[in-house]
Amino acid sequence: MIWGVVTLTFFVSRVVAPDPTGLLVPPQATDAIKQAVRHSLGLSDPLPVQYFRFLGSLLHGDLGTSFATGMPVNADLLTRLPATLELGLVSLLWGVLFGVIFGVIAALRRGKIVDHILRIMIVGGMAMPQFWLGLTLIGIFFLNLGWLPGPIGRLPIGVNTPTPITHFYLIDSLLTGDFTTFSAAVSQLILPSLTLGLGIFAPIARVARTAMVDALDSDYVRTARAVGLSPTRIALSWSLKNAMLPIITMTANAVAFAFSGAVLVEGVFAWPGIGQYALNAIQQSDFPGLQGFVLYVAIMYVLTYLAADILYAYIDPRIKKS
Amino acid sequence: MTSTATNAVQRGRGGIRPLNIKPRRTMNWTLWAGLGLSGLLVTVSIAAQFWTPYTPTKPGVGDPLMAPSAAHLFGTDKVGSDIFSKVMAAGLTDIGITLIGVALAFVIGTLIGSLTGFFGGAVDAIVMRGTEIIQSFPALLLGMLLVSAVGGGLINVVVVVAILGFPGYLRLARAEILSKKSMEYADAAVLMGNGRLSVLFKHLLPNSLKPLVSFSAINASWVAIIVSSLGFIGIGIEPGSAEWGSMIAAGRDQISNWWVTFFPGVAILLLAMAFYLLGDAFADREVQ
Repeated sequence: MIWGVVTLTFFVSRVVAPDPTGLLVPPQATDAIKQAVRHSLGLSDPLPVQYFRFLGSLLHGDLGTSFATGMPVNADLLTRLPATLELGLVSLLWGVLFGVIFGVIAALRRGKIVDHILRIMIVGGMAMPQFWLGLTLIGIFFLNLGWLPGPIGRLPIGVNTPTPITHFYLIDSLLTGDFTTFSAAVSQLILPSLTLGLGIFAPIARVARTAMVDALDSDYVRTARAVGLSPTRIALSWSLKNAMLPIITMTANAVAFAFSGAVLVEGVFAWPGIGQYALNAIQQSDFPGLQGFVLYVAIMYVLTYLAADILYAYIDPRIKKS
Repeated sequence: MTSTATNAVQRGRGGIRPLNIKPRRTMNWTLWAGLGLSGLLVTVSIAAQFWTPYTPTKPGVGDPLMAPSAAHLFGTDKVGSDIFSKVMAAGLTDIGITLIGVALAFVIGTLIGSLTGFFGGAVDAIVMRGTEIIQSFPALLLGMLLVSAVGGGLINVVVVVAILGFPGYLRLARAEILSKKSMEYADAAVLMGNGRLSVLFKHLLPNSLKPLVSFSAINASWVAIIVSSLGFIGIGIEPGSAEWGSMIAAGRDQISNWWVTFFPGVAILLLAMAFYLLGDAFADREVQ
C-alpha cells in the first residue's frame, strides 16, 4: 500500500509537474548551466532510472534532498514532525473527548433541545471549510477581541523555546518548569487546534450519537433496565462500551483526516509542521519534499489503523479470539 | 429519566417501532432544509448571470474596503468591488464545478464498479487495488498534487475532482452489484433469456442506485470544500477569478476587514451544508 502511494506520487509529480530548474537558477542562466543543474538533481536520466534510484534510496531511509530548502528531506520532515504531532494530538484529544461526550448526551436526550443543537453543530462541522474557519477565528479572537495571539506559529518571538526533550513544547516547558513558555505555547495552540479539532469533533459526535442510540435500543440494555441498574451505569458501562467500536473506527479515519487537514490549517496559522512543508513543496515544485511528506502520511495511516485494530481487540474480546 | 427509559423499552418491542414517528420528522426537516438551501443557492447563482446589484468584476463601484451597508450589503473589497455581487456571481463556478465533477465521478465510478463487480476476475482485483491506492491518499493532498501537475482552470479542476471521487462510487456500486447478482430476480432475469449486460444494466443497476445517490450528495458536500480549498491555495481556478475560495485568499491579508473573507466563506459553508443535509435525508430514507 505504501509502495503504491509512493509510486503514484512519484509519477504524478515527475511526469507532469513543471521542471524545478527554473526556480533554482537565475532567469538569465545559460542552457548549459540549466543542463548542469538538471543533471545534478538527477533529472536528466530517463524516468525508470530515476524511479528505481528513488526506490533504492528510500529503502535506505533516504528521501532525497529538497529542491526548496537544499536540506535532506528526512531531516526537514523530522524537525517539523513534532509541531504537526502536537497540533494533531491536541486537536484529536478535544475532538474525540467532546465528540464522545456530546454524542452520548445527545443519544440519551434524543429528540430534545440538546440533541437538535448537536445535530446542527455536526452538520456545520462537516460542512466547514477549515481554512476559512481558521481565518475567521483569527479575525475574531486575535484582531477584534485581542484575547489570543496571531497566526505566527508555535511560539511568539521573544519567548524561549523549551529544552527539547520530547520536542512537544507543552510537555517540554512543563518538564523544565518554564511556565511562561507553557502558557505562550498553549495560547498559540488554541485557535489552530480548535480549527482542526472541529473537523474531528463533528464526525465523532455523529458516530457516537448513532452508536449510542443503537446500543440504548438493544435488548441487553432493556434487560439491564429490567434488572434495575441505574441509567447512568447502563449508559456508561454497558452502552458506551458497545458503542466504542464504531467510535474507534471513526477516530482512525479522523486521524487520517487530520493529517490532510493539517496542510491547510498549518498554512493559515503559519504552523511550522510537515503540512506547511508540503504546501510549500507543492507551490515550489519540490518533488522530493512532497514525496517525503506523502510517505510520512502513508506511514502514519498504517500506524493509526494498526493502533485501531489493537484497540478493537482490547475492547471486544470476540475479536481477539478470532 | 424514567420517561426516557419507558420510551426506550417500548421502542425495543419490535411491533411498536413503526408507530414511532420521530425519525420521519427529522428526515423531513433535513430534506427540506437541504432542498431549500441548495435551491436558493442555485437560483441565486443562475440569476447572478443576468443581474447583480453591481458589475461583479468592476473595481471602484464603491470606496475600497467599505464595511457592509445598505448600498453594499457585504461591503467592498480592496479595489472597491461589491462583494455581494461577487459572491453571487462566483456561485456558478463553485456549484458548477462541484455538480459536474460529482456527476462525472458518479457515472464513471458506477459504470466501472458495476462491470467489475458483475464480471469479477483479474481486472476486478487490479481495479480494486488501484482505488485503494487513490483512497489511501489524503484527498485534499492528492487534489493539490494533481492540480499543480496538470495546471489550474475549470476543466482541469473538474477532472481532478472526478478522479478523487470516482473510487468511492466504484466500490459502492461494485458492492451493491456483488450482493445482488446472486439474488433470485437476477437468476430469473437470466432464465427469461436476457443477456448478461442487459441483466446488469436493466435489472441490477437500477436497484442499486439509491445508496449511490445518497453517497453522491455527501460526496458533493466534500467536493465543494475541496474545490474552494484549491482556489484558496491559488492553484485551482485562475487566481482572482470569481470563485469563493480564491476570494477568501484575496482577502486573506486584510482579515481586519472581516467582511472580505467572511461572506464567501459563509457561501461555501451553506453549499456544503445543503449537500450534506440532502445526503443525510436520502440516507435516512434508505434505512426506512
